[in-house]
Amino acid sequence: MLFGLSKHPPRQPPPRLEIAILPQMAKASAVRLLRRMVWLAVLLAADSAAAMPPVRAVATTTIVADLVRQVGGERVAVDCLMAAGIDPHSYKATPRDADRLARADLVVSSGLHLEGKLSELLERLGRRVPSVAVADGLPREKLLPVADGVFDPHVWFDAALWSLCPALVAERLATVDPDGAAGYRKRAADYAATLLRLDHELRTRIASVPSDRRVLVTAHDAFRYFGRAYGIEVVGVQGTSTESEAGLSDINRLVDLVVTKRIPALFVETSVSDRNLTALREGARARGHEVALGGRLYSDSLGGPDGSAATLEAALRENVEAIVTGLGGER
Amino acid sequence: MTIPYNTLVVAAGVAAVGFAAGVVGSLGVLRKRALAGDAAAHATLAGVATAFLVSGRRDLPVLLAGGLASALLSLGGLVLIRRFTKTRDDAATAIVLGVSFGIGIALLSGITARGIPGGGGLEQFLLGHTAALTAADAALLAGVSIAALAAVWLGLKEATLVAFDPAFAAASGWPVAVVDYCLVALVAVMVVVGLPAAGAVLVTALVVIPPVAARLWTDRVGPMLLVSGCIGLVAAVAGVVASGLVPRLATGPMIVLTAAAIFFVSLLFAPRRGWLAKRLGPRFPLTVE
Repeated sequence: MLFGLSKHPPRQPPPRLEIAILPQMAKASAVRLLRRMVWLAVLLAADSAAAMPPVRAVATTTIVADLVRQVGGERVAVDCLMAAGIDPHSYKATPRDADRLARADLVVSSGLHLEGKLSELLERLGRRVPSVAVADGLPREKLLPVADGVFDPHVWFDAALWSLCPALVAERLATVDPDGAAGYRKRAADYAATLLRLDHELRTRIASVPSDRRVLVTAHDAFRYFGRAYGIEVVGVQGTSTESEAGLSDINRLVDLVVTKRIPALFVETSVSDRNLTALREGARARGHEVALGGRLYSDSLGGPDGSAATLEAALRENVEAIVTGLGGER
Repeated sequence: MTIPYNTLVVAAGVAAVGFAAGVVGSLGVLRKRALAGDAAAHATLAGVATAFLVSGRRDLPVLLAGGLASALLSLGGLVLIRRFTKTRDDAATAIVLGVSFGIGIALLSGITARGIPGGGGLEQFLLGHTAALTAADAALLAGVSIAALAAVWLGLKEATLVAFDPAFAAASGWPVAVVDYCLVALVAVMVVVGLPAAGAVLVTALVVIPPVAARLWTDRVGPMLLVSGCIGLVAAVAGVVASGLVPRLATGPMIVLTAAAIFFVSLLFAPRRGWLAKRLGPRFPLTVE
């Protein structure tokens, strides 16, 4: 009988499930995986948002980044656009930079057209993203004019003048993050006091250099505030911005100066090429005056984050030690 | 008044380059290779930037070696395009010039944007910057220029023949292609040593304008080379002097403007070919053939 047979149905080979169902399964599992990944990302984002400081600030130069770190403390995560050693005068923004700037809670720039090639971008951003150009907030009468309505942007070399900036940053941070306002103001006041102490210290160090030798020759005119504050004549081969070229006349003029004043040392800047200074030394040597290279100065950029000059305070101190040593002051 | 040491160094180096560029350029212009020289000049930037990235140093010999390498590469590319495609000469040159200059600018702006230490000031190769030349740099430029002059002296007969009648030269068994390559390579060398003086964009003027001006004054190759060399020398030195007297003035544009002024004067006053001579007509035959 047919039914009898059905009692013991012939063993069929088990369906080869894996193979038959694999495409659908693969699709399904891929979808599941994707879903899981999305969840994971959401969870991670939520998690890290909880752990992140409330304010994400983007600073342009290492010097401004240091200022924001000093004032912001734990509440502000500082992202610095230009790495150490970058010349801010000629720095051009990449599309990624524009993105970083646009996502910031606060954009902090140095101002006074230090970031020559970024000015336009920063100005446009300023309408959408909270931003502050630190040196623009300084009283005009304390600034050194370069031309009509244009001021020398290298204000951080005068520690006393720079000590006005923490308060400016604190007020701007307070508008972005009112909960932290009191903390910002406190830290700003502390840091300003530190800068004023540093100012006094630097002044005494420079004063140890014999007055007739207090001439600082550097690659570009970054140290005019420094010179005004600490009583040292400063001469740059290039103009205030590294974008202007030094001509032969500049070199010849400086060779004259170096030889007649018997200046013992020239100073290289970490973010500027030293070619002009090399030509200058050669010119002086041809006239029988040997000039030494008196170490590297931090000018428009601090040292790397792991180096000895990661903060403005440390960089200014190192600069002054190099200058005092190079020009024959007291150790 | 004594001439300041730095002016002397720079003027000596640049004068040698100006003279040699005028001489070598004459042959290039006669052989109708002025545009190839321009392509090579624009290509140097990529090599200079690459040399800096690879070596991490700003020594002039290293950078110029890089510039020469990329200039020769671009000329090689030009030859290949001509051989394997049906592109016409001017289009092929424009392609090579555009592409190689684009690469150079991309590398340069990348270097500035990333702030690679010591990279500041590499843009000087764009427009020329002689103020910072040291004695060693000037000696290098002068040495290469003298070597180029020696090469011209050795191969003048071949180069002249190939320049004026390539078909005849080939028919009489001269290695026209080899002479041609040597000539263009020589132009590339001059373009590279002219870089510090005039920069990648303007250096062609140093190998093109003096020969064209010289051509107005004479019909003979020997004198043309000499006149062209002298015009190049005067233009180069004038550029250096101008940038030495006026603060913050780039050398390259001054060199080009001086050369152009000499060309203009030649256009007006050259015997026989000049505007004045033509106006006056044959009443004053100024040339003695």
